[in-house]
Order: sequence, then structure tokens, then C-alpha cells
Amino acid sequence: MMTRRKKRKVKKDDETTEPSVIEGDGIIVIKDLTKKFGGNVVLDNISLTIEKGKTTVIIGPSGCGKTVLIKHIILLLRPSSGEIYFKGRRIDNLNENELYKVRTNYGFLFQGGALFDSLSVADNITFPIRQHYKVKYWSKFDEFVKTKLSMVGLEGFQKFYPSNLSGGQRKRVALARAIALNPEVILYDEPTTGLDPIRSDVINELILKLQRELGVTSVVVTHDMTSAYKIADRIIMLHNGKIIADGNAKHIREHPHPVVQQFIHGQVNEDDLAVLRASGTIFQTQFLPRDFEE
Amino acid sequence: MIEIVGSKAVAVVNDAGRFGRFVWQTIVASVLSCAKTKTYPLIWAQMNIIGVRSVPIVMITGAFVGMILAVQAYDQLVSMGLEERLGVLINISVVKELGPVLAAVMLAGRVGGALTAELGTMNVTEQIDAVRSIGTNPIRYLVVPRVLACLLLTPALIIYGDLLGILGGYFVGVVQFKINSWAYWNFSAGGVELWDVLVGVIKGFFFGASIAVISCYKGFTCKEGAHGVGQACTEAFVASFISILALDYALAVIFKAIYNTFWSVRSLV
Ligand SMILES: Nc1ncnc2c1ncn2[C@@H]1O[C@H](COP(=O)(O)OP(=O)(O)O)[C@@H](O)[C@H]1O
Ligand SMILES: [Mg+2]
Repeated sequence: MMTRRKKRKVKKDDETTEPSVIEGDGIIVIKDLTKKFGGNVVLDNISLTIEKGKTTVIIGPSGCGKTVLIKHIILLLRPSSGEIYFKGRRIDNLNENELYKVRTNYGFLFQGGALFDSLSVADNITFPIRQHYKVKYWSKFDEFVKTKLSMVGLEGFQKFYPSNLSGGQRKRVALARAIALNPEVILYDEPTTGLDPIRSDVINELILKLQRELGVTSVVVTHDMTSAYKIADRIIMLHNGKIIADGNAKHIREHPHPVVQQFIHGQVNEDDLAVLRASGTIFQTQFLPRDFEE
Repeated sequence: MIEIVGSKAVAVVNDAGRFGRFVWQTIVASVLSCAKTKTYPLIWAQMNIIGVRSVPIVMITGAFVGMILAVQAYDQLVSMGLEERLGVLINISVVKELGPVLAAVMLAGRVGGALTAELGTMNVTEQIDAVRSIGTNPIRYLVVPRVLACLLLTPALIIYGDLLGILGGYFVGVVQFKINSWAYWNFSAGGVELWDVLVGVIKGFFFGASIAVISCYKGFTCKEGAHGVGQACTEAFVASFISILALDYALAVIFKAIYNTFWSVRSLV
């Protein structure tokens, strides 16, 4: 009676699942990854190979498990079953201490930024370096912080604390922190959400620049299609815990799957719309204060 | 019904297991980071936050304990004509039991609550995951400095508490009730051994470590949202409080055995 299990969502569109292995060397390989929270299956047997030096974009509606998937890549979450490889080495069976070393190859931008709120902006950005290197030239540090901040368009914010920044500014500081160690792989969880269109484009350019000039491998979770089209070498769409579309921007634009088309054009599902349309006639759309009094 | 009891029991055992692992990891990381100068500034910062600002509250607690004991015990002792022994009674209770336990309880409320709230908020805003994602052990970076700071400072704070407890007792006994000052101190010196003071201070190490470890653990495992953090703070205080009393009992038994075997022999030799 305590084990109240959510029913597995019914999968109707199995036939459109495509093989997700692309030729070339995969720096990250995910094999048969399944993740359950209690009885709630969030990722259902996902296999994915991420190519070195490419930008892979993961799209999908809110709550479909994009964050859960990207966290599995650096084992912030452990798979219920399945395997994860980094540069050909299996990492999902390592213990936490061994993983700390592996994770220095990655930069991770959290969806909410996850800045350390007891540290200033400058200390946040230099945190990874102070953790992993013995710093002797402190004067270089100021220059380093300045460069990173100007990359994300926040010159002069060194002394601020996270609580004094807006959501978008925090995200950009978090991005500066994520790239501090010059990682080979950068994982971005919704880098442009909450930014104005121009800032978003700056971030897009930054992601492209890192890829072109430093050969960084990027995995970007987003539901901003403008950004996805601009930066993606490959776009993957998640739906109900499965990959339902996988290919370049053109492939996605012309994808036959109705859910993909709805998502990329930002259209409401007809069924959802029907409820809204009906409610105006059947129910009162708005309650007035006197409705709650006798 | 059986299912409910069973799943509760499994949850309890799971939780105990996780706590055990947390304690073990903390011990290992603490020992390792003692060798690394990089953690010293962190420990120092925590000592300032935890220790310095707790001094007044611990001193006030100590002073009142001493004064209350004096007021309560005086009448009984007078009726037996033993009022000059008031000092022994107060000082031994303060130094051995009441000082350490009450100071630890104050710290559990003041420091433990703050630690749980801070780490719990860091947990729900993914800051602990951020530490992990950067490749740093959050136990080493967040827990060890706090535990070591508490471990080192609680005995010091207990000494402050003892001191004020003794002064408080003296104030009420000698100044208010006009007990002969010389007799008061003389009997006290005869009744309180160095051993008694040591026992109280050594208890402080255990109390401090257990408060910090429990509070950090509750912060690390706290549930989402404002309610989760609040609940974790409450649980941390209750658990710290009970562990202080349980440790106090266990240590009393252990120290008694040690005293009977070693200390008394030493004084004979
Ligand atoms: N720690 C967790 N415990 C339980 N359920 C979780 C947890 N994290 C995520 N979920 C569930 O997984 C699903 C996917 O979440 P998430 O990956 O954050 O979605 P999004 O695609 O918007 O990033 C959600 O339904 C959420 O309820
Ligand atoms: Mg998300």
C-alpha cells in the first residue's frame, strides 16, 4: 500500500526511435542508460555516443529528463542500469573519489547556476583553480577573472555577491566558472534560459568560439530552438524517456514525428488546447472574490 | 501493516548505514586534511564563525548555572551546618557535568542549527553538487573544516563556561550569602581534582565533534525546499541533543573505570 507506483507512461511512437550511434570517435558513450526515481522511469534505455569536438544539443519539453541525462554524464546521478564511458574508459562503476579526478575534464553549467553564495563573483570563478592548483601568482588571477568576466559580458562585477545579481547574470558567472579549468568537455544545462535575446546570442557565440578555437566538446541542454539551430552539429530530442529524433538541424526541421514538429514550432498539442477552449463555456474562466463567500 | 513496519525499518537501517559512511568519510578526510595547509584557512574561518561568536552565550549560561546551583543548594547545606562546603558542590557539578553538557546544548542550538541550515540550503540550491562537479570532495571542503573547528573549540568554550559558573557560584555564595571566602575556596580546592576538570574538557571534544557531524549530515541529506531545510534543522538539534546526553552517559562510565584503575593508583605512588 505504501508502494504507490506511477504507471509507466504509454509509449505510442516507438517505431520512430532511430539508432543513435554516429560514426567517428565518441568521447562520451552512454549505453542502455535507464534511470528510475522510485517507480518513476525518467530515462528509458537510452544509448548515445557523443563525438569529440562537436556540439550536441539535447532538446525536449520541461520535465522530460534532460537535466537528469546531462547529470549522468558526469555521474552526479548514478544510473539505475546501463553504462557510461569517457574516452573509452567505463566511469559509472568508479567510486566517488576516483570520479573527482575524471570530473576535472568537464565543465558543468547548472540550470540554476549553483554559484557559491558565500563567495564573491571573483572567488566563484577562481574556485576550480584554487582547488586544483597551487596558486603563486595572485596578480595573474585578477587578469584571469577579468578576461573570463568580459567573455560573458560582466566586466566590473568581481566584487559582487551572487545574491546581488539577477538570474541571468548568475548564470553567466556560473558559465565563467564552468570554463575556468579549460575543460575538454563542457556540459551546459539551459545556458540561454532567462537571458534576453542579445545576451543569448553572446552565449551562443561563446559556445561556438570555444568549440572552434579550443576544440571543446559541448553538450547543450536547451529548449531555445534559435540557439539550438545556431550552435548544434547534432540535435537530439528526448520524449517520454526515449530519444525520438536524432540528427542535424535540417534533419530535425524536416522530421516527420508530430511531437518533434510541435516542439520546434512551439505549438500546443490539440488535446491540451481543447481543454482550454472548452473551459470558457463549461466552467467559469475566472473566479471572483464573492464566489468564495456565501 | 507489516509492510509499513518493514519499510520503516529498512529506511532506519539505510539511514544509519549512510550516517556511518558519512562519519567514516569525515574521519578519513579530516586526518588527510590535517596534513594539508590548504584547509587551515578554512578551519580558521569556521573557528571565527563558530567559536568567537559563541563565547558570550556560553559564558552567560555558565554564570547562571553557578548562581542557580548556589541559591538552590544553600538552604539545604545551612540546615546541616555545612554551608562552607557549598563551593565543592557547585564547582564539582559545574566542572564535571553541568558546564560541559549545557555548553554543548547551547552550541547544538546555536552552531548546529546554523550549520544544518547553511549546508541544507547549499544542498537544495545544488551548490554541493557544484563542488562535486568541479572535482572537489564536498566532505573535505565543507564538512571537515566545520567538524575540526567544533572539535577544537568546544573544549575551549567549556572552559569559559566553567569559569563563569565558578564565578557565579562564588558571587552568590560569598557575596550574597556571606559565606567565608577562605573556607569556600579551601574546601573547593580540596574537593575538585585536576581529573574532574580534565574529564569535563575531554567531553568537549566528543560533544563538539558529534554536534558538527550530525548537523552537517542533516544538511547534506536535507530535502528540497524551505520546509525541508527547516525540518533538517529541527532533526539536527534533537539528534545532537540526544547524542550529547548519550555520550555523556557513556563517557561517565568509561572515565569512572579509567579513574578507578589508573588515577587512584597514581596518587598512591
Ligand atoms: N532527485 C530527483 N528525485 C525524484 N525525481 C526526480 C529527481 N530529479 C528529477 N526527477 C524527475 O525527473 C523528471 C525529469 O526532470 P528533469 O531532468 O529536471 O527535467 P528537465 O528536462 O526539465 O530538465 C521530472 O519528472 C522530475 O520529477
Ligand atoms: Mg532541466
